[in-house]
Amino acid sequence: MNECVLFLLLALCSAKPFISPSHFNFKNVMLMDMEDLDDDDDDDDDDKDDDKDDDNSLFPTGPSIIPFDLFPVCPFGCQCYSRVVHCSDLGLTSIPKNIPYDTRMIDLQNNKIKEVKENDLKGLTSLYALALNNNKITKIHPKAFQSTKKLRRLYLSHNHLTEIPANLPKSLAEIRIHDNKVKKIHKEAFKGMKSLHVLEMSANPLDNEGIEPGAFEGVTAFHIRIAEAKLTSIPKGLPSSLLELHLDDNKISAIELEDFIRYKNLQRLGLGNNKIKEIENGSFSSIPNIREIHLEKNKLKKVPSDLPNLKYLQVAFLHSNSISKVGVNDFCPTGGRLKKTLYSGISLFNNPVKYWDIQPGTFRCILNRNSVQIGNYGK
Amino acid sequence: MKLAVFFLLLLPLCLAKPFHQRGLFDFMLEDEAGSGTPEPTVPPGYPGMAVCPFRCQCHLRVVQCSDLGLTQVPKDLPPDTTLLDLQNNKITEIKDGDFKNLKELHALILVNNKISKISPRAFAPLKKLERLYLSKNNLKELPENMPKSLQELRAHENDINKLRKAVFSGLNNMIVVELGTNPIKSSGIENGAFQGMKRLSYIRISDTNITNIPKGLPSSLTELHLDGNKINKVDADSLNGLDNLAKLGLSFNDIASVDNGTLTNVPHLRELHLDNNDLSKVPPGLGEHKYIQVVYLHNNKIAAVGPNDFCPPGYNTKKASYSGVSLFSNPVQYWEIQPSSFRCIYERSVIQLGNYK
Repeated sequence: MNECVLFLLLALCSAKPFISPSHFNFKNVMLMDMEDLDDDDDDDDDDKDDDKDDDNSLFPTGPSIIPFDLFPVCPFGCQCYSRVVHCSDLGLTSIPKNIPYDTRMIDLQNNKIKEVKENDLKGLTSLYALALNNNKITKIHPKAFQSTKKLRRLYLSHNHLTEIPANLPKSLAEIRIHDNKVKKIHKEAFKGMKSLHVLEMSANPLDNEGIEPGAFEGVTAFHIRIAEAKLTSIPKGLPSSLLELHLDDNKISAIELEDFIRYKNLQRLGLGNNKIKEIENGSFSSIPNIREIHLEKNKLKKVPSDLPNLKYLQVAFLHSNSISKVGVNDFCPTGGRLKKTLYSGISLFNNPVKYWDIQPGTFRCILNRNSVQIGNYGK
Repeated sequence: MKLAVFFLLLLPLCLAKPFHQRGLFDFMLEDEAGSGTPEPTVPPGYPGMAVCPFRCQCHLRVVQCSDLGLTQVPKDLPPDTTLLDLQNNKITEIKDGDFKNLKELHALILVNNKISKISPRAFAPLKKLERLYLSKNNLKELPENMPKSLQELRAHENDINKLRKAVFSGLNNMIVVELGTNPIKSSGIENGAFQGMKRLSYIRISDTNITNIPKGLPSSLTELHLDGNKINKVDADSLNGLDNLAKLGLSFNDIASVDNGTLTNVPHLRELHLDNNDLSKVPPGLGEHKYIQVVYLHNNKIAAVGPNDFCPPGYNTKKASYSGVSLFSNPVQYWEIQPSSFRCIYERSVIQLGNYK
């Protein structure tokens, strides 16, 4: 642990100011060039220093004899600084060749890249973040990520991928693949990912059959979002480590007893805008740590039965359903049982139930009177 | 104990830095040292949860709310947020109080929304903002009163048709400005509009309707990218004083001529892209230029190449040798060019002559 702090501190210490040193360097080179007739050597030396310092200037001051495309300098039109290569909005049709090897982040968003080829990322062993969102990618070579053993963040949203790419680095902490054409998640697609914080794959034509059994085997993930897809039930076998699960805007019609049994740690659950009619009694009892449940815009006829047992539940969105009756013990525990955190948000508007039919005691465990929205106002 | 001492020794080293600036996504990469498994069991209280907007992810002071269909900036964002990502939503307007508590914000990503209006006071609380990404929105003008701390501004693909001096003046930390794919005309750029940015290093105004190189560019500029415009001539004047310019991109314009003396005004130019234009000859001054390494001239109307177009007459006075020269897709035939025209180029592969790509 202490070592970690030290490393962090070291990293902070060695972090370079944005541009000043390279600018300074550039001027130095220039001055030397002007003073010294036999300057080619000076030029070269300075470049080597640059490499040592991990300090990429905004432009290359490449050694003059070597052909430009063999030397890893900043691609024309891109900006390279602090080991970040910025090449967004350039109309690129492929990943540029001459990316400096020590690059930590590449921003290639909003281009016209069609494919990630086998050697496009070769040698980029320090790469931590790769933004390829908003391109026209249909294909990623199965060996494309072979060098990038440290990749933590991968942004592939708004492309044309039809499946989760094979052999993604196990180091990933964040994968975004929103708005693609993903229909298939193969078995072990995320295998070995031990600290996947975020997996966002919404807006894909993914249905329950597209998720192969074992697709999430051997993965530790905390936040998964598969919204705006074609799911008809809660997917089976998601990682049991989940803290947040967002499945809004799907076609889920029912929740069954075993659906959440794996996710003991779940704290936030988003199921808004589905077609949920039935929630089997006890379904939410297996997620005792849940803080927020969003069930707005569904077809529920009554308040889910387990809410009073959920000691930490603070937010229950139930608006825009078909709830016609609310019982006095639908939300709050009875008898000596304790609620550890009070409700801060209950929404019931846009339901057939009339507020004068709800007993005031129903909301005896809320934070304050603003915590409940009943009227037919709002959405 | 020893560790603690070491730690204490290290601290002053850190503090000794005169000026500490973070790299773009340093804070996004903060988890690199402690890459172990983060709290797999339920952390008591789950800090951050109370304030992290539902469906967003808040982790290590980075708040990610992209692709959520949001129509406005979420309320009650964690006040210690350093990066706020709101791209790919449906936000139409940035209002006064939207960022009121975000004093620590370094980067604000608003790319790909429907923003047509930014309230003049909206960015005022962002005293540490360094990067502002506004690309792919419906802005007609850039907002005034942008934070003075700003280093990078991207406003690609908007409806901007005016660039006023008042917008940029005093932005003395600005280094990168990207304004491509906007309906800007040369008449819409106020004289000396960019002059107020004393540290500006990179500017890109590509794929617009401008017909001239803007005048009064700051002398700190190292890169100027103006490809895909309607520029028909390179005036020597407009590049006057750009002593630091290293890269000049003018591809895909209608340039028919380059003034004599243009290259003398940019003595430290390394790379010049003039491909896909209407040039009928090689731009003057290349032979005398000491540092030019890359010259793209393909897809022009160059019908002849003279013996001194690229290399100095007599003794080679070049201080950097060419590393890339392209001449293909021009009327000139390679057998019509004297081999000695390239006498200052030692590597054959540097020159691309044929009509291949």
